[in-house]
Amino acid sequence: MKKLCVAIALGCAAIMALAGCGAKDNRTSHSVDDLKKNYDFQWTDTSKPILNKDGAKDITFTVFSSKNASALEYGAMDIMDTLFEDTNVNVLWKQVSESVYGEQKTLTLGNHTGIDAIYHAGLSSNEITTYGVKRHNLLAIDEYLDYMPTFKSILEKREDIKKQITSTDGHIYALPRVEEMGLLQNPNLLFLNKAWTEAAIDGGVNIGITKDAVKNGLELNADQMEKLLTYFKNNDMNGNGKKNDERPLNFVWGNWQGNQCDLFGMFGINDNTEHRIIKDGQVTYTVLDDAYKDACNYINGWLENGLIEEESLDISQDTFLSKGKSNPDELYGAFYWWESKTVVTDESHYICCKPLKGPQEAYGGKYKNCQTVCVSNNPEISTGELVFFKGAPNIEVLLAYFDRYYLPEISAQINYGPIGIAFEEEKENGMLVPKDPPAGKTADELRLQNAPLGICYLTAEQWGKTVQMEERAQVRLDRLKLYATPYYDHDKIKPIPNLQFSQEELSTLSRYQTATDNYLRENVLKWIRKGVSDSDWTTHKNKAVTAAVGIKEVTAVYQAAYNRYLGK
Amino acid sequence: MESNSYQDGQVLESEEQAVPASEAESEPNAVQAEKPSFKVRVNELMKRIKYSNFGRNFRKNWTYLLFLIPAVVVTFIFAYIPMYGLLIAFQDFVPGDNILNGAWIGFDNFTEFFENYVFWDLMGNTFLLCILGFIIGFPLPILVAVMLHTTKNKKITKFLQTVFNGPHFISLVVLVGMLYLFFGRYGLVNNIIESAGGERYMFFLEKGAFRPMYILSSNWQDFGWSSIIYIAALSGVEQSQHEAAQIDGASRVQRILHVDIPAIMPIISVMLIMSIGGLMGVGYEKVLLLQTDGNIGVSEIIATYVYKQGIQNARAGYATAVGLFNSVINLVLLIIANTASKRFSENSLF
Amino acid sequence: MENDPVLENEVPSAPAPATKRKKVKETRGDRAYYIITYIILGLLALIVLYPLWFVIIASFSSADAVLAGRVYLWPVEIDFSGYAKCFERSDIWIGYANTIWYTLAYTVLSVGFTLAAAWALSRKTLPFRKFFMIFFTITMFFGGGLIPFYNVVSDLGMLNTPWAIILPGTVSAWNLFMAKTFFQTGVPDTIVEAAELDGANRARLFVSIIVPISAPIIAVLTLYYAIGQWNSYFNAMIFLTDSNLYPLQLVLKEILTSAESTVGGSGETMLEQFRLANQLKYVTVIVSSLPVFCLYPFVQKYFAQGVLVGSLKD
Repeated sequence: MKKLCVAIALGCAAIMALAGCGAKDNRTSHSVDDLKKNYDFQWTDTSKPILNKDGAKDITFTVFSSKNASALEYGAMDIMDTLFEDTNVNVLWKQVSESVYGEQKTLTLGNHTGIDAIYHAGLSSNEITTYGVKRHNLLAIDEYLDYMPTFKSILEKREDIKKQITSTDGHIYALPRVEEMGLLQNPNLLFLNKAWTEAAIDGGVNIGITKDAVKNGLELNADQMEKLLTYFKNNDMNGNGKKNDERPLNFVWGNWQGNQCDLFGMFGINDNTEHRIIKDGQVTYTVLDDAYKDACNYINGWLENGLIEEESLDISQDTFLSKGKSNPDELYGAFYWWESKTVVTDESHYICCKPLKGPQEAYGGKYKNCQTVCVSNNPEISTGELVFFKGAPNIEVLLAYFDRYYLPEISAQINYGPIGIAFEEEKENGMLVPKDPPAGKTADELRLQNAPLGICYLTAEQWGKTVQMEERAQVRLDRLKLYATPYYDHDKIKPIPNLQFSQEELSTLSRYQTATDNYLRENVLKWIRKGVSDSDWTTHKNKAVTAAVGIKEVTAVYQAAYNRYLGK
Repeated sequence: MESNSYQDGQVLESEEQAVPASEAESEPNAVQAEKPSFKVRVNELMKRIKYSNFGRNFRKNWTYLLFLIPAVVVTFIFAYIPMYGLLIAFQDFVPGDNILNGAWIGFDNFTEFFENYVFWDLMGNTFLLCILGFIIGFPLPILVAVMLHTTKNKKITKFLQTVFNGPHFISLVVLVGMLYLFFGRYGLVNNIIESAGGERYMFFLEKGAFRPMYILSSNWQDFGWSSIIYIAALSGVEQSQHEAAQIDGASRVQRILHVDIPAIMPIISVMLIMSIGGLMGVGYEKVLLLQTDGNIGVSEIIATYVYKQGIQNARAGYATAVGLFNSVINLVLLIIANTASKRFSENSLF
Repeated sequence: MENDPVLENEVPSAPAPATKRKKVKETRGDRAYYIITYIILGLLALIVLYPLWFVIIASFSSADAVLAGRVYLWPVEIDFSGYAKCFERSDIWIGYANTIWYTLAYTVLSVGFTLAAAWALSRKTLPFRKFFMIFFTITMFFGGGLIPFYNVVSDLGMLNTPWAIILPGTVSAWNLFMAKTFFQTGVPDTIVEAAELDGANRARLFVSIIVPISAPIIAVLTLYYAIGQWNSYFNAMIFLTDSNLYPLQLVLKEILTSAESTVGGSGETMLEQFRLANQLKYVTVIVSSLPVFCLYPFVQKYFAQGVLVGSLKD
């Protein structure tokens, strides 16, 4: 028996030794001077090739990437051909489909022999810290910024982007994707059924407004809304003979948009699904505000009276849309969503309202002037989109190549598809205008098939100048400008940007954050469903700051990281 | 034949005790041979092995070892060699590190888990979910197999057997999707409840509904599939025993209790021991899909927690440590079950 | 004999013992037992059949109707776009072919390895028996995780080859112990000894006597291993990068993922996508399991052959 054990151990050791040494990397590395001399390497003029024809032949790069199942191989995409012709940089794509990328990513980070970079890396800031700061497996891109003129000038212009992508050790380990349309900050809009509201007014509901006022931009306070919703609930609004299939107010609990958070705006709280926000420069949990208790009790009242459709608390996004779209009769009296077109059969039946004002008399009129919206922490900058491995040969060339992706015209094509397929170039000013898809294809299919997506830089200044925004995005943007963005103090209330945490901070977070999140998820729902008594509230406020819940610890970590972001 | 017609199972089971005790003892004895010269010692050793029980048995039966070769080789290569990966439980491991030469941190991963405020909640939730699932999930396939075995119409039996296997083929997303449809606020079940005069119940938001829903749906999916092994075992029960029992005037239920069940007792015991050994091995996927803000207090279990820590926070070492802890609990449970079974029923895994 | 004549008539091929049984009178208790059994089985069948039926009708009803809870017993707004999406892709046929061949090869190896090992382990005279039992038991609890496993397969040069799918999981300790128990209870030592007296060597004994009388356990192993392989995709996911080698399940996963992903576009396209994705969930179940499900009755008949073991004993 002992002998056998020894033999097994030896066998193990032998094979492990074997496992230790992987395949050898046999690509040749050239110094920048050599590259300049032999291959005319240049990076300063972004309209000229980076290498000469010999460079295209002799130097290749391998980039690992996930790919949407409907997309063409990147090597076969028009935009990639264009880039190759323009730069003479030969990139070979090693692609796996999105459905297997999760496992393949870990394996590739574990053994990246022969691979220079990961595109669509999707690394969390946590992973960047681990692989970059802690293990130095990733290339510190900031040391090579000189080879990336476009990106460098973006960083000079946009201190905030630079802060968000710079790790705590001062290095940049990943290139970001920036697509700023201004659509994400306030995820909800309130839509109200026009015909039902008019019918309610006709039916004698006295909310102090006439039928003429029932149009986009209608402003209601909590009391008026309550009366309307009560009428919706008690009457056969859609006229199908069933009195109880009307759903007065709807949302999708905890969804990234169309969620419950705007309801707390009636009480002056800028809630979001994480319940975490920057208030006067301080990282704050909304659930510690006493107004939150009143809000929960008030919303609970609506829920108990059936004014809020109870299914909103566990409905999925897909079911929500199906119920709105598929029934022959309209079901929704009012709902929170990103837009109305996808939710209901006929969007003209619904008007878009201003945020609800607080209850006028209840709570001693404390909240009568409160009127604000959800401020979400959904950033428009994704930080871990493209990473390079340390020690990859001729990395300067590859960086200069990816730098081109940040040019406005390339960015647009990377993001939406190439000129000729997705865009037409307007003659007079060279602006890219979305092209109608060929018959039998949707714009989405076309985009998924022909655009690699990934790193790009599309900001407010490009919309309407280099690229025309999609129509649907424009509609939403216009609505937000009227009914959301004016309703909170942008100096006082700020979303939490992408933050970079140190290793110690990360370990604190991993220790406490699950407990904090679970505590909040469980309790907020409980308060909404059952209400919250004063004694419950006191218990909560005492408990929340103990280490068992960890709100204090998590807040401190975020505050420290945010202070660094501000440069304090 | 008559002598063991009723207790056939037991006669066969007790063979465990007949295993020659020599195999465990002979080797240590051999190693402790006295001091004389090397050659003498070797000769002495060979002789002792040759004439010991073990030696005799070995010479006679070594060819059985050949049957094991393929299974042992495959298991060794694909299960044992990768086991060095368990070392990362004691490391601050990041993919890309050399596992044999990693950042050793001793038991830090383990202590961090034990000292975590959620530790006892996780243990409690996991244990309750698993034990309740086991209590229902273990006997159900046996009952179904016995019932199917005893029906008189074999066509119906075959049809039902096929039908009962159906749920096994349903993917997890579809299963959970159907749960949300059937048990949602306006789903089939709530419609029935309401028409029966009850109030619509929020199955996914009530803590109390999570475990029953999880366990019953899992059993729904697998009772037919798990019963296959018992059905096969029951088919081996000798008709002659049933006839003998019938002549003695035994009723159907008596024959089940005294003929069928004893005959399949060995396989039931082994399945029981193995199931207890896998008790805490519940996966994260389905729990995560059923997890809502309403039930998170009971639906956060070790597996989901490790998933969140390991995948979302990129902490492979920590996740492995917790997994290892879980495996050790399972192993201990298996050993307890095996020992108990050996003592009380003379059936055991080994 | 008070047996229901209709029921009896439906069993023309009933084995000999059934006729003998007729001599014994069925008691009232027995009748109660049968009635209760049929009621329970009937209820179980209902509980199982309805959701199965639902999967079928949902796979060609409109996704909106399914999600909005308007589908109960019959398909609503019949819509085959899920099936169309599935079968418009040529890779689904490659997936079928791959899966069939992986499953066949894997099942042959698994059942062979497992039977042989289980036979040896079931013999109390096997040298080092306890050691080998522990050797296999440990694999039920401890595994090395993704990266070492990947490294082993990669060092053996099996990456991107069918072997990475076929070989690694061939012996499951669970199935092995199940088979071992079967041999222990089903094959008495007397057979073995008798055969050895006849001078048969062990390999011949195993192949010509043991295997033929073990139809039920072979059927069980075949079923468990084959379906396990048929439904699996994890190994394919980590070891295969060439999509021409993908098994069916991975191809279906791929189709589902691509239907689920949207990138803005018009609201209508997004809706179309999510409808398709929701319907595809049901379609994939049908597409992947209907073929195997239909094969089950053919395996099933081998369960009834277990009686052979007993007859040999006499």
